[in-house]
Formats: sequence, structure tokens, C-alpha cells
Amino acid sequence: MTKDLEHKFVAELEGNQNIIHKVCRTYTNNDAAHKDLFQEITIQLWKAYPKFRGDSKFSTWMYRVSLNTAISLYRKTKRQISTSPIYDNLKELEYEGYNDERDKQMDLLYKAIHSLNDIEKALALLYLEDKNYKEISNTLGISEVNARVKMNRTKTKLKNILNP
Amino acid sequence: MDKLEQLKNVWQKQEDCKITFSKDEIYIMMRQKSSSVVKWILIISILEFLLPNLFLLFTDHGSSADFYNKYSIATAMKFYFLVHFIIIIIFIYTFYKNYKNISAVSNVKELMQDIIKTRKTVKYYIYYNIAMAAIIGLHIFYKVFNSESFLETLPSNTNQITIWVVALLIFVFVLFIFWGIYRIIYGFFLKKLNKNYNELERTEYC
Repeated sequence: MTKDLEHKFVAELEGNQNIIHKVCRTYTNNDAAHKDLFQEITIQLWKAYPKFRGDSKFSTWMYRVSLNTAISLYRKTKRQISTSPIYDNLKELEYEGYNDERDKQMDLLYKAIHSLNDIEKALALLYLEDKNYKEISNTLGISEVNARVKMNRTKTKLKNILNP
Repeated sequence: MDKLEQLKNVWQKQEDCKITFSKDEIYIMMRQKSSSVVKWILIISILEFLLPNLFLLFTDHGSSADFYNKYSIATAMKFYFLVHFIIIIIFIYTFYKNYKNISAVSNVKELMQDIIKTRKTVKYYIYYNIAMAAIIGLHIFYKVFNSESFLETLPSNTNQITIWVVALLIFVFVLFIFWGIYRIIYGFFLKKLNKNYNELERTEYC
């Protein structure tokens, strides 16, 4: 039944939506674009869902589709101003009592990530999520050696941005 | 511990994202139309497959048949048409197969390769059409310019070479315009993808 499949999909997606939000926040810098990308990822996930056999974890599968959408399929509809990201709008949606210090640090991290290119953004995300090189090489489709080289470069780049 | 490691710890301790969507919102989203690059490539490709052949629909078949007979190229034109038809079928089949292969579940590199491959089929199709137009065009030029009925209409002091040069220049100019428009559309959709693909490829050879 399509209806059952739909309910199951929405329930799983709702529970794991954090993953998509992390990808969205990595690849966009205002909440309109964030929502736009979230929607495109949702459409792509739903399109691919009937083929999801559960060979991998739902979250791993979601990561792959989300990154693919952000890197290859998504076209920015509005011009984004990369020099002055608009974080103010995102703040309106904050939970009450959100940890201010932690929030500041996350902003700092995302600001640094935003200056990377699309592939480096994916690597930064996979690093922060503590994925191993095998999984990184599988997700991106490059050799483990290449993944290591690229990861080291991305980390160096990030460190340089964080400690100028 | 360096700054990056420190931030990684903060990252991993982060609670739910600031933005969350309810089930109802997700239901609405999954029913929206995709605006992915692949969908646009499909639409544009179908147009590209149709456009060169739309010209054929709007030509006056009666008068073009008379024209072909007059310059005795009717058999050659039939041959060109048959070859063209077979080649189009092959192109459309290849395009469809490539398009079906595109899946967001592949790894990042494979997905990009599949999209680029699909696009390449259409690119070759356009090149093929330009080449075919050039061959048929030159064939017709040759036949017309060498026919007595055409030569009679020219002023007696006209240089044959001048006619050829002018005809070729116009021909090249038209091709150039087509090629330019094509590059703009192609570049518009695949700029980001090509950039990311090259980035992923780069260190593989270092």
C-alpha cells in the first residue's frame, strides 16, 4: 500500500530530520534556501524510498541522498550573498533557552565551513560526524587514499580559517 | 586540543536542530515538484531532440520535392533521411537508458558521472545534427551552384569563388549562433556539477 509506505517514510524522516538539517545548514546560509534544499532532499528521498531495502541504516542512506542532492542535484534558486550570511532569520526559530555559548561556537564552525567548496563541505560534515575513511570513500566514490588526502587538506583549511 | 577538535565535540553534543518540520509539513513537501538539475536536463534534452526535426514538419513537402527533382538530389535526400531516422532512434534509446541510470542513491562521483554521461549523449546529438546539416547543405549548394539554370541567372562577370565564400560564411555564422546558444544552456545547468566533479577527480592523479 502506498499509504502505508508514505506513513512509514514520513515517520522515519521526521525522526531523522536532523541529518538533513545539518546538510542544509552546511550548504546554505539563509533559511529560505535551507527550506528549499530540505524540500528537494525530501522529494529525492521519497523518490528513492521504494528501493530502500534496509541493507544499510536509514540514516546512512539518508546521508548519501542528502549529500548527492546538495552537491549534484540542487540548483540555487536565489542568488546567495556569500560575504554576509544571514543568520538572523535562523535565530528567530531557535528553541527557548538555547545554549548561547554553544550557539556561538556552532555559528563560528558553520561560518568556516561556508568558505569551503562543495566537496570540502561534504568532507567537513563527514569528519564532524566521525565517519571512518571506508564510509567516506564509499559515500563520495573515491579511493580511501584519496579520501585521506582530501580530508587532511580540508582539515588544514578549516584550522587556518579558525586560527588565522 | 586544537580549536577544530573542540568544535567537533560541540558539534557532536548538539541537540535537535533549531529548525524542525512536523509530519504535516513533510507530507506537503514530498508532494512538491522537484526542481533538480536532472529534471531540467530531461526537459531541455527532449526539446533538443525535437527542435531539429520540427524544421522538417514546417517545410513545404511539395515544393521541396520539386526542388530536389530539379537538381536531381531526390535519391540522395531519401538516403539522408533514412540514415538520420535510424541515428535518432539510437540516440533516443541511449539517452533514455542513461537517464534511467541516474539515481540519488549512487555515490557522489557515480551520480555526477551518470548526469554528465546523459548530457553528453545530447551534446553528441547536437554535434551530429550540425554535421548532418553541413553535409546536406554543402551537397545542395554544390548541386545548385553547378546547375545550368542557376548559372544562367548570374550576371556574366560573377566570380564563382565569391559565391562559394559568401555561402560558406553565412553557413558558418548560422552554425556559430547555434553553437553559442547551446553552450549557454549547457553551461548554465552544468557549471556547478562540472566544478564539483573536477574537484573530486583532481587528487586522484596527484
